[in-house]
Amino acid sequence: MEPALLAQGLVVDFGKVRAVDGFDLSVVAGTSVALVGRNGAGKSTTMRVLAGVLPPSAGAVSVGGVSAGRDPSAVRALVGYCPDVGGLIPRATPWEHLQLAAKLRGMRPGWQARATDLLERFELTGAADRITSGFSHGMGRRLSVVLAAFHEPRVMLLDEPFDGVDPLGVEATLQVVREAQTTGAAVLVSTHLLHLAVEACTEAVVLKGGRVVGAAPAAELVGEPGRARYRELIA
Amino acid sequence: MTAWQQVVALIGLRWRLVRSLPVRLGLLAGLAAVPLLAWLIVAGSDTVGPEAYAAATTAASAAYLGFGLLALIAPLTAGGGTELLPPDQLVAYPVRPSTQFLASLVLAPLNLVWVVQLLVLVTETALLTRGAAHPWLGGATTAGYVIACTATGQAIAWAAVGLRRTVAGRRLARGVLVTVSVAFLVIIRTGYGKDVVRRSFSPDVVAAVAAAGARDARHWLAVTAAVFGVAAVAVLAGSRACGWALRRPGDVGSEVASRIVRRRTEAPSALRALLAIDRASVWRAPALRRGALVLAILPGLAAAGAGLPWRSLVVLPGLVAAGGGLLFGINAFCLDASGALWLASLPHPPALVARSKALVTGETVLAGVVLAVISGSVRAVGTPTLPEVSAILASAVTCCVLVVAICLSSSVRRPHRADLVGPRDAVAPPGALVLASTRLALPAALLGLVLEGAAQSGIAWFPALLALPVAALSALWIWVSLGRYDDPVVRSRIIHVVASG
Repeated sequence: MEPALLAQGLVVDFGKVRAVDGFDLSVVAGTSVALVGRNGAGKSTTMRVLAGVLPPSAGAVSVGGVSAGRDPSAVRALVGYCPDVGGLIPRATPWEHLQLAAKLRGMRPGWQARATDLLERFELTGAADRITSGFSHGMGRRLSVVLAAFHEPRVMLLDEPFDGVDPLGVEATLQVVREAQTTGAAVLVSTHLLHLAVEACTEAVVLKGGRVVGAAPAAELVGEPGRARYRELIA
Repeated sequence: MTAWQQVVALIGLRWRLVRSLPVRLGLLAGLAAVPLLAWLIVAGSDTVGPEAYAAATTAASAAYLGFGLLALIAPLTAGGGTELLPPDQLVAYPVRPSTQFLASLVLAPLNLVWVVQLLVLVTETALLTRGAAHPWLGGATTAGYVIACTATGQAIAWAAVGLRRTVAGRRLARGVLVTVSVAFLVIIRTGYGKDVVRRSFSPDVVAAVAAAGARDARHWLAVTAAVFGVAAVAVLAGSRACGWALRRPGDVGSEVASRIVRRRTEAPSALRALLAIDRASVWRAPALRRGALVLAILPGLAAAGAGLPWRSLVVLPGLVAAGGGLLFGINAFCLDASGALWLASLPHPPALVARSKALVTGETVLAGVVLAVISGSVRAVGTPTLPEVSAILASAVTCCVLVVAICLSSSVRRPHRADLVGPRDAVAPPGALVLASTRLALPAALLGLVLEGAAQSGIAWFPALLALPVAALSALWIWVSLGRYDDPVVRSRIIHVVASG
């Protein structure tokens, strides 16, 4: 079965610093993978490369069989990305973000129903016409997830989607991840929060020093034995 | 730690944050250039002919009053003065309000217009004290006057910041602004400008500077003591005003952030959608909105007030365009802030984002230029010749294209993170703004002067002919910058910088 997301030998150098060092990953459609690791492990940089925001120094990414190097725009059309920091245009409203996304993604008329539904589920309806610079951190995170899921992407990349989000927001995010899996999308969730990674995903990949140092079914990282194994991997 | 020690520490930190050697050298060269120019002016004052000498000394009172007005208006338009570091970066440290006031006072000279006006006062002082045994006495009076005006302007600006923290205060501030503008228009319309200058404090200061040359010690001492006294009081009052303003809850930024925005209809194209977002990003940023309004009103009022001859209107577009570019154009990608990461993940030709930024910069600059030229032409002296009209039009169009080209190049090469949430937030650090203002103003002013000269040729098409290659090269420069933004490595660096934080 062809993977929905395939990364091979990704390398990212920032000057003399190597942030990602030979990252390989394959995510099959209908599965969700957690990308876990300590601060500075290279998770967000990897996510930016997979989202087509940052060009890799070496290596290749393909989404749905489309090479990101050859046709980056086609790859972006298939991906929904929630960045780790903010990820929102500060003086635009959530509705304006959705309008812009719908226009740039060439979505068909009627996208408003999907947008309204997502805003309601993430309890952002009342804030849909307020500029995002006045949002709390958690509200911003919730809107970023809405924007990533809006066009029902083939690959959803969520970078720290649970950071500072209240329990209802976490539940809405988990629901979106489950729905995406059900509709055959591949989901990659980068997070520090192991218990939520385990809850959201079926697989977990541990990153350290910009390379994959371990992988396991998410169920094996549950409870104290799971945490002990995780600590071993990241140590 | 005293407020001054904190200011020194913060300036040290700001200096260490300037990582680029060329930028550091540029700033040092700029710092060295001002005293060098002042020295050259003083040294060359003896060579000024009798006619120029008479004209300069006659205009001295207006020049001193002009500096006072600038010192008052500049911090008001900046929402309380320039900040060494964004407030969110200092929130964890016990920085005193008086430190913030002193820092904005120290940074006041980082303003090209302030420096130019200072050099005008240096020229006037050199001429007024020509041949005196102790010309430095006149220099001391002028120095005291410069400090007093600058400190008073900063103090009033901070008081205005505090006043504008409430709805009633904002209404009052708007009322004062409208009243002053109307009064200014009435003065222009009725031709009482010279009376205002004569009845202001500036003739006394000019007389004191001249008295130093004429050895009239009593008058010199009285006025010099007065200006230094005003300076001391303004510094103390400004520190208090700054503390009061910063302690008051609420500001324009938080009000804008909590307001419900009317939904717009869907844009017909991707570019129009990006333009709508960029325009909203400018208009909803308190600092940029205020800057845009100042750009729309002030140059026009000044041009109308001065009653410039038509040939002088040729230079005006370059200066206004440079001011417009400085508003946000020199760091246009900061409008997207961290949203740049999300935007870059959407499927669209990347150059579209850069085109949108260039267009919004261009329309802002053009609007300012058109308003200034129209306002200036209302009270321009005499009837324009065809070459003058041709030169004004050529200058307006070419300066706009040139400024957009410089801005886009600067945005691509030297991006900065800027939140633009509060009323005092700037699009770039203070030093970068100074360098950018020089990069914008010098070529634009030079172009205006060349076209002004061309207008004197009497040949209507000559100014347009001279402007054409500049416009073409600027358009090419814009195209090159758009191409640079298309490079994924360059683009990702810009996104990384503007989205950091």
